[in-house]
Amino acid sequence: MGFNMRYLDLKRKIRDARMWAIQGITEAGSGHPGASFSAAEIMGTLYFKRMRHDPSNPNWSERDYFINSKAHSAPGFYSTLAVAGYFQPEELRTLRQLGSRLQGHPVRYSEHQKQHSVPGIEYSGGSEGIGLSVGIGIALAKKLDGKKNRVFVLIGDGESDEGQIWEASMAAGKFKLDNLVTILDRNRIQQDGFTEDIMPLDPMKDKWTAFNWEVFEVDGHRVEQIVDALNKAAQVHDKPVMILANTVKGNGIRHMANNPQWHGKAPPKRQTEVLLEELESECLIAPSIIAGERENYEDKIRKVEREGVDMIHLDVMDGRFVPNTTFFADTIKKLRRLTSLPFDTHLMIENPLEKIQDYIDARCDIITVHAEACTENEFREIQERLIDNGISPGIAINPGTDVPKWMYHSLHNLDVVIVMSVHPGSAGQKFMPEVLTKMVVLNKQLRQHGFRGYIEADGGIDATTLQQTYDAGARIFVAGAAVYSGGDIHGSVIQLRNKAEVALERRLLNHATQLNIRADWMKARKHILIPYANELRIEEELHAIR
Amino acid sequence: MLLGSEKKTADMRGAYGDTLVELGRDDPRIVCVGGDTTESLKTKKFGDKYPERMFNVGIAEANIVSVAAGLVIAGKIAFASTYAAFIPGRCVDQIRNTICYPYLDVKLVVSHAGLTVGPDGASHQQIEDIAEMRAIPNMRVLVPADAVSVKYLIRMIASTSGPFYMRLARPSCDIIYADQSRAFELGRGNILEDGSDATIIGCGLMVSRALEAAKELKRKGVSCRVVDMFSIKPIDKDLIARCAKETGAIATAEEHNVIGGLGGVVSEVIGETYPVPIKRVGVQDIFGESARDEEIDMLLEQYGLTTTEIAKAVLEARSRSRK
Repeated sequence: MGFNMRYLDLKRKIRDARMWAIQGITEAGSGHPGASFSAAEIMGTLYFKRMRHDPSNPNWSERDYFINSKAHSAPGFYSTLAVAGYFQPEELRTLRQLGSRLQGHPVRYSEHQKQHSVPGIEYSGGSEGIGLSVGIGIALAKKLDGKKNRVFVLIGDGESDEGQIWEASMAAGKFKLDNLVTILDRNRIQQDGFTEDIMPLDPMKDKWTAFNWEVFEVDGHRVEQIVDALNKAAQVHDKPVMILANTVKGNGIRHMANNPQWHGKAPPKRQTEVLLEELESECLIAPSIIAGERENYEDKIRKVEREGVDMIHLDVMDGRFVPNTTFFADTIKKLRRLTSLPFDTHLMIENPLEKIQDYIDARCDIITVHAEACTENEFREIQERLIDNGISPGIAINPGTDVPKWMYHSLHNLDVVIVMSVHPGSAGQKFMPEVLTKMVVLNKQLRQHGFRGYIEADGGIDATTLQQTYDAGARIFVAGAAVYSGGDIHGSVIQLRNKAEVALERRLLNHATQLNIRADWMKARKHILIPYANELRIEEELHAIR
Repeated sequence: MLLGSEKKTADMRGAYGDTLVELGRDDPRIVCVGGDTTESLKTKKFGDKYPERMFNVGIAEANIVSVAAGLVIAGKIAFASTYAAFIPGRCVDQIRNTICYPYLDVKLVVSHAGLTVGPDGASHQQIEDIAEMRAIPNMRVLVPADAVSVKYLIRMIASTSGPFYMRLARPSCDIIYADQSRAFELGRGNILEDGSDATIIGCGLMVSRALEAAKELKRKGVSCRVVDMFSIKPIDKDLIARCAKETGAIATAEEHNVIGGLGGVVSEVIGETYPVPIKRVGVQDIFGESARDEEIDMLLEQYGLTTTEIAKAVLEARSRSRK
């Protein structure tokens, strides 16, 4: 399971990496946004969570190696390195320019290449299909020296047309390189079009299996699945591991996603601000399994997992802090085996510090405690212990309370603030609209004080209130009855997603209007906006755009 | 070919294999990557001695050189070897981007260069490798003339950082450096014979033919300087310019296309330093053909790679000299 990854922190860092990459690309006027974004979660998970490396000592002898064979994903690779701490992210703005250290394709950093590279880059790429062979060489050397370093190679599907990929594949199988993990960014698009049209590659899983690799297949935009597969990879012996990551090229910018046009094209610089807003606006849907009948939790989890929800929200109630009682850590422990979906645990309990270890042990990914239930010192201790264990810490506030003043001193280590829009303790209450104003003010204050986490809306969230809380700044939505009570889970999740999309599109359109690029934005976005034209009241305007 | 019966010959590949074993004994960082030709290249000797440091990746040249690059990234000194037809023939891109650009300690030592491959024919007769390799920034190109040079130069490239390309010939070659105390310096040609009327600059197995040609010319009263230009890149500009100035005419001799090889380098250098007449002996931009081992001399004759052709070239260049 994908735990100990401080889920929301990881998501945020990946979001930052995408944002820096797009700034570099629009500034340069060229680059490969598609590949940078399809591989963002893969590179981010490796650099921010799984690899042993030290940005302050890039040549650390015990480091793991990352070989970026699909080197055209350079903007995303550079931004990942920058967010990881190898250099100042602002340097991304020099991407691909004369005199920049950030060359069009990354260059191995050495005494010989100080001008055109940054520390941390092990491999000079650009010509396709080579990196896996290089990774094999490193893995062989580490085995020869009896060292524990691991080698991670990112390859693309387009470059899998190259015969050398298969030369390398055979060789890694022959040498039984269990210190080598290859991740295939299977975005299904190459420069001329879709991979299966240009040169069919499927069935990829069978191919790699036949070449004596252990293959794990994941959704390459789900960090928890990537972490899960990397954990499994570490347990494989006498075989190299292939993580077949199904991805979407250009993921993160809706009009660029899965569109071959955006393989190697830069969006216009004037759109940068709107693109950044879109990247920053990623939202997560977290069904609360206590909705409806308080039973069949396993079944409820399986059903929403199939619908592609982002997290599972677990409401722990102790009958003292709130009137009701739900379940405790032992139940969560059992549920943990079912899924790699992040567990977003909301502790509505007294003295959370006393019980916190149980929930850490139950492998929750996010643990939120109530501001009303602990003192500053207690919260600090909880926060510290959660972060030490790779768990995202959160604080929740009831409708009548505010984020305590002391909280503002450690916002950089706070991943989520749950703003309750009902009184906690019982399901099925009506959304309290007065919370919206509070959320707007709070969001602004928190951001001003350096908060980079998520606002989570909890209580009475449905299709209508989701949009309202979205506009008020929430990006995580706890939905209970709205998912489970209507009898159509599939339809409900789609509807919630759709409402979040409408809210996003409206927001971006407003932003584009403020920047005087409304028509320009609508043109770029036309195929995305068509389904929401009615709701956004832009039918005629959209129709007029050619 | 005027091979005296007293002449000693020795196998370049054997010298390579033996030296590699010695290097491997002294330096645990030495590793070797091969591609189904380890027996022929004599790298098997190293593999037999140090099996854990020998990696045979099969008939996959792109993979050979790239795996070697990876080994170097992880701290090794990698020798990668197969036939010259395939390294660099099949992997110039990998050599360029993966080895030369990042300046990695990969030492490409290949055999069966030139026409003397013999029976395998033109597909295996590598005649453009010097041109390809020397055009890549950071790459150094060495063409030893005999087995003694091989021993020296293998040690030199093992202890000098950065990429090298070294081409060996298949046949057993005349020993040029019987006096083993001779020094080899990267970027410095060796004057084997002094003379004042012309200079023959040769590399590889054409050096012994250059010496023979000088002897022949001496009998006709022409005094030739003979230079073994084993280091094609970096090239000894000073020596070439000096030879041009002091002898007034130059002939080059190489088992390679005259385009872009040793003759090309020397022409470039004298053109920019001290222009004198030059005549290039080598393959005249055509593909070779099969010949049985006992027919190799005839093959070389047919393609103009002989003592006689070198002597003719010297006289031709000299006839245009104003000296």
